[in-house]
Amino acid sequence: MTFFRLDPELYARHKDEILTLSNSFQRIDRRGLSDREIAERLGLDERTVTEIRVIAERDCYPLDEWQRAIDFKRKACSDWAAAALKRPDLREP
Amino acid sequence: MATDGVVDAVKRVGLAAGARVVGVAAAAAFRAGVPEGFRPEDILPGARSVVVAGGDGPTAGAWRCPDHRVMEITGYDLRENVAIHAMCDYIERELGYYAVQAPSLPVHGHEPPMSMMHAAELAGLGTRSFAAHIILNPEYGLLYYAALITTLPLPADPPLAEPACPHPGCAAMYKRIGTTPCLRVCPACLSGTMKNARIETSTYDREKCHSRAQTYGIGSFQKALLAVVDEDDPARRRDMIHSDFFAKSVQSLGFFRDSIAQCFECMRVCPVGRKHRKLK
Amino acid sequence: MTDERAPAKGDLVGPATTSATARLKALALKSGATVVGVADAAAFDTHAPSKHRPADLLPGARTVVVVGGAQPRAGDWVATSPWLLSTMGTTERIQGVGRRIAQAIESELGYYALFVPPGTAAGDAPFLSLMLAAELAGLGTRSLAGPILNRDHGFMYWSAVVTTAPFDVDGPTTDAACPAPACRDMWEREHTTPCLRVCPLDAGGCLAGRLDDGHAVRTAYDAARCNTRVHTHWVGGFQKVLEETLNEPDRERRKMLVYGDFMTRTLWSITYSSTNIAQCFECMRACPAAHGLKEMR
Repeated sequence: MTFFRLDPELYARHKDEILTLSNSFQRIDRRGLSDREIAERLGLDERTVTEIRVIAERDCYPLDEWQRAIDFKRKACSDWAAAALKRPDLREP
Repeated sequence: MATDGVVDAVKRVGLAAGARVVGVAAAAAFRAGVPEGFRPEDILPGARSVVVAGGDGPTAGAWRCPDHRVMEITGYDLRENVAIHAMCDYIERELGYYAVQAPSLPVHGHEPPMSMMHAAELAGLGTRSFAAHIILNPEYGLLYYAALITTLPLPADPPLAEPACPHPGCAAMYKRIGTTPCLRVCPACLSGTMKNARIETSTYDREKCHSRAQTYGIGSFQKALLAVVDEDDPARRRDMIHSDFFAKSVQSLGFFRDSIAQCFECMRVCPVGRKHRKLK
Repeated sequence: MTDERAPAKGDLVGPATTSATARLKALALKSGATVVGVADAAAFDTHAPSKHRPADLLPGARTVVVVGGAQPRAGDWVATSPWLLSTMGTTERIQGVGRRIAQAIESELGYYALFVPPGTAAGDAPFLSLMLAAELAGLGTRSLAGPILNRDHGFMYWSAVVTTAPFDVDGPTTDAACPAPACRDMWEREHTTPCLRVCPLDAGGCLAGRLDDGHAVRTAYDAARCNTRVHTHWVGGFQKVLEETLNEPDRERRKMLVYGDFMTRTLWSITYSSTNIAQCFECMRACPAAHGLKEMR
């Protein structure tokens, strides 16, 4: 038994659908499907679905999104402090 | 079925060990909303009860810090886990029933073997909110949850009849301007509608939230590592390796407390439990 | 190494030694240890290689206090989820007891105490073998599968404190937990034991051995293979997949490795210590002397 490696073409073919069916984009009124349930629906084996899902979760957004996250938190936190603590000097210019 | 005295004794052990709240759910209650393989009975054969402990997150002082980076690496003392261990020990040693800490850390990507959020709901400790569907305790707001699974049959606490979200203030805000504090502060991750002061629809982009809630961690290390490995220019590669982003990503692997939770903006503006954050 | 000088004021001698030993053991149990014992530091010399003996860590070491506990619960062993034991490790609970004892020895008795760090000195070699320490402190004996088993409590985790305090020493025990009666019977019938059957060396596993006249004899142990099972997702796994990644010329295939399930899980283990402590328990799960010693409901 060799180390499990996913074929990039298989990944590209199924990643969007698997991510959509999983818990990545959640709705409060229904749950996402488990890897086993997704595998049954798409006719894939569960191990492959797991691998595609895990990679797709990480691949979903580019590294730029992490920079946007840093900027968002800095601004949101300082804006809140400025309003809640009545310290307009804390607001980011 | 164990007596009320037994369940009170178990809860007292948990509260004495540092839990803020403790509740009980029947193991069978998980069948309705949880796929096979992720239920208490899939983890511990003969499971009858799930005891859930909620613990405090950041202190009130931390919430007031204008520098978001403080709470990014504050970490917690994870008392809810200590409480679970104390209750597990009590159930096995004193009562003679099997008890295990419910495995809650992700094992395949973002997927844990059992949902602590769902356990908290079923144990009557909170309800889902607009804000990332975080379970809000009506009294304390944001708490962190851990659970144990046991063969001890305990009377279950019912799920809450009244949802903690929306707060009356948020309902009033939605009526005025069609949004709530959390939806307004983070439209990138959250969206939702309210009807008759109840959540009507709510969506949550977990993958985008991941870039905020775990900016520096396992995910950022993978992203940065791939970028480093794919970079052909040695000088640019060197800059990437020694960058603040990569350094903090590696640091969060070394000090796990640095990676637990790194974005609180939806919770910062949430009024549920806020009275406990007003101190001198 | 022994101290040749005459006892000074405050040194433990005679009844004071016995009393201090009893008080320390009581503290250990109150702090959460299941068992506690004391080994003679000099006893390590015939078993442990140079640089891995108590006096190599603490010059002048006289005794080693060993505590055992924090073992998986009865429920953990019967759990059917493969993730439970491998992600909810509890060994750190005993480390806290070890640290407390070290501090108590120094603050209350005035002797040097060194808490043996549970990590490795280099590669896979520990600073001091905690398994050997447990044996020499009379807290258990080596099993055919390898781990030290305590007669009353089975499999547990260990912590040790090297000290210059001359506590009363407990000798090694001769009352071996392994082989258990059920294993002797099995050997008579099938020429194997539960641990050998679940992980046989000659079928891709880690263990080989036999029972000789009621004694367990381990004839082979593939430590490198065992490491891939106990620490599947840990430093070694990370190094392996990193090497594969660097050697992979295709960008898309590199992404499959870096973002893949194995790397992701391994990074979780690197970050959260409860998930890297031990990730294979199958020889112990099958062992009748390791757990299940108390009836549960």
